[in-house]
Amino acid sequence: MRRLRLPGLALALPAWVWLAVFFIAPVAVVFWYSFGYKPGLFGTHATDRLSFDRYLEVLTPTFFDTFVATMNIALTGTALCFLIGAPMAYWMAVKAPPSWRGLLLALVLVPFWTNFLVRTIGWQVILSPEGWLSQAAQTLGLPAFDILYTRGAVLLGVVYNYLPLMILPLYVAFDRVGEPLREASRDLGAGRFRTLWRVTLPLARPGIVVGVLLVYIPLMGDYITATVLGGAKGNMVGQLVAAQFQTAQNWALGSAMAITLIVIIVLSAAAVGAALWLVSWPLRRSYRVRLDSGVTQ
Amino acid sequence: MSSSHDVRILTSKAAAPIVRRELSRRGFFALAAGAGTTMVLAACTSPDGTPLPGATGGALENALSIYTWGDYDAPEVLEQFTTDLGPKITLDSYGSNEEMIAKLVAAKGTSGYDIIVPTGVYIPQLIENGLLMPLNRDLIPNIEYVDPAYLARDWDPENAYSICKAWGTTGFVYDTTVIDRELTTWNDFLDAAQNEASGRTSVLDDPVEITGIYYWANGIDWDTTDAADIDAAEAYLIENLAPHLAAFDSYPGGAAIPQATHALMQAWNGDARLGIMNSPEPDRWKWVLGAPATELWMDNWAISASAPHPEAAHAFLNFVLDPEFAVAQLDYIGYHTGAKDVEAQAREAGLEMLDLVFFTPEQLATMQDGEINEAQERNVEIWNKLKAAAGA
Repeated sequence: MRRLRLPGLALALPAWVWLAVFFIAPVAVVFWYSFGYKPGLFGTHATDRLSFDRYLEVLTPTFFDTFVATMNIALTGTALCFLIGAPMAYWMAVKAPPSWRGLLLALVLVPFWTNFLVRTIGWQVILSPEGWLSQAAQTLGLPAFDILYTRGAVLLGVVYNYLPLMILPLYVAFDRVGEPLREASRDLGAGRFRTLWRVTLPLARPGIVVGVLLVYIPLMGDYITATVLGGAKGNMVGQLVAAQFQTAQNWALGSAMAITLIVIIVLSAAAVGAALWLVSWPLRRSYRVRLDSGVTQ
Repeated sequence: MSSSHDVRILTSKAAAPIVRRELSRRGFFALAAGAGTTMVLAACTSPDGTPLPGATGGALENALSIYTWGDYDAPEVLEQFTTDLGPKITLDSYGSNEEMIAKLVAAKGTSGYDIIVPTGVYIPQLIENGLLMPLNRDLIPNIEYVDPAYLARDWDPENAYSICKAWGTTGFVYDTTVIDRELTTWNDFLDAAQNEASGRTSVLDDPVEITGIYYWANGIDWDTTDAADIDAAEAYLIENLAPHLAAFDSYPGGAAIPQATHALMQAWNGDARLGIMNSPEPDRWKWVLGAPATELWMDNWAISASAPHPEAAHAFLNFVLDPEFAVAQLDYIGYHTGAKDVEAQAREAGLEMLDLVFFTPEQLATMQDGEINEAQERNVEIWNKLKAAAGA
């Protein structure tokens, strides 16, 4: 009997169909709407006349200011998640007893059992000036703290909500480097710091990139965490897009904003990638091993 | 069904009427499908294209689908309807009028919803898009129990499409331990926000409510489309109010009042009442109805133009307007239902803080119906600028 051979692509078919229907098609529709206009008071969009006018309307000082504030929170939040998540992931993958790892991973995922919004509002209750944390501080003789509705509260919420998205890919990356390579590094005379810097981190780089993108990209679009904990100080650009689709019912302008955001996010992610590449370039050059000559440069 | 196609079915006495009703409905659909869609459309549209009432007082269908705001009807009232009249109710909810409208427009008449509950200012848009079915008022005699004060509002002066479901107004709540003077007007609100309550003030997260504060305080028509008025509102709000705002919060009664996170909060009356009742120190808070003018918003019962169960929908509207249910509905949502003598009943039932639910005729006279007009885009722009300025 002849075996039926499917082309390799067939395995990816469900994923492609999914992406085409639920990602590419909606983005294409938004892209199309962004060239349209709002036809009168009660219409949301029309595309019988196409123009770039909506893109000109997007580029206002309000959009720019809000975008800078958003970028600020997204970059700081991503950096904090990395600084807190990387040691945690390293410890889980390398230092913790292997029998604990399943349990530790489960614990990292526990917050996902509860709805995102409920978790964030939970922090609002904890941080409120008359909440239990503030009252406990006062009974200990510390001043009542007023952190709710500040940038600090926003970053706290961001780290809390996004940390697992950073830890998981980093854990997988550190785990894949494997004990034998670290052992070999030490055998060849490298100290702990050198092993980390020259073996573990470079090999874990794909995981680091994934973790950073997984936190940074959704964070640029998230305005729930920021408004719940930051109030007026948590104004995010996602809110502007929502305002056009919902309140103003101007889907054309909302679409142009969404497309502008997508472009900027892709560009900024590419810029971060390029920066990382440039920074590590001298490292890679000086430590590259050439198998043909067998000697480091 | 014509006599040449008689169908004889042996069934129990109880099941017979249901079988007959189901068969005749299916027969109708088969006929309609055979006749083609134009005929069906012609059957429910008048020559000028407006939909006609789809109910004539015939037998009720066995289901009813209601698309409304979350948690907006007392469950016992809905259960009573099914017990008394039969149709099983399916509930679905939305969080904003725009969401509901977008869904109805996108479904192009196949949404399957019978009853929707739009806010008054959105009704002209729904009518223009042909999304509402004109009410057959003969089937809703209980409209006589609705206080005429809440009928014939600007958005539907004949109540041809809608009947008051609940209404509320806007004011503010302040913390008397932070602000120890008496506040009574929107000007007092703006003054306190820039003084005692600086950095601890919140406003509703809604563009027309925010520009409203300025218009109401200064005796300008809330629905103004005059560019000079709008520019003045923008300049004042961004320069004077924005630096003092802590949050844009449409429901301070949910958390901010019980947890005392802010000292001065613009709020809707029912939400303020809920927050003060849930506060560990209710005496600390004071409610002020916006003055010299404020708004009156109203959510309205209406029937979708494509309602699959129009008879049941009319029966439901008539049922829910029965004065018997007014207090249960009011107690559940915390807003006036518009029923005529609900105030006396509510006092008799011992409901608390009724001064945040019922208002005097003099106060009612200061409440303005809003409208969605050409100023909407500017309002949204001001709202976004204000947020950017307050977050800086």
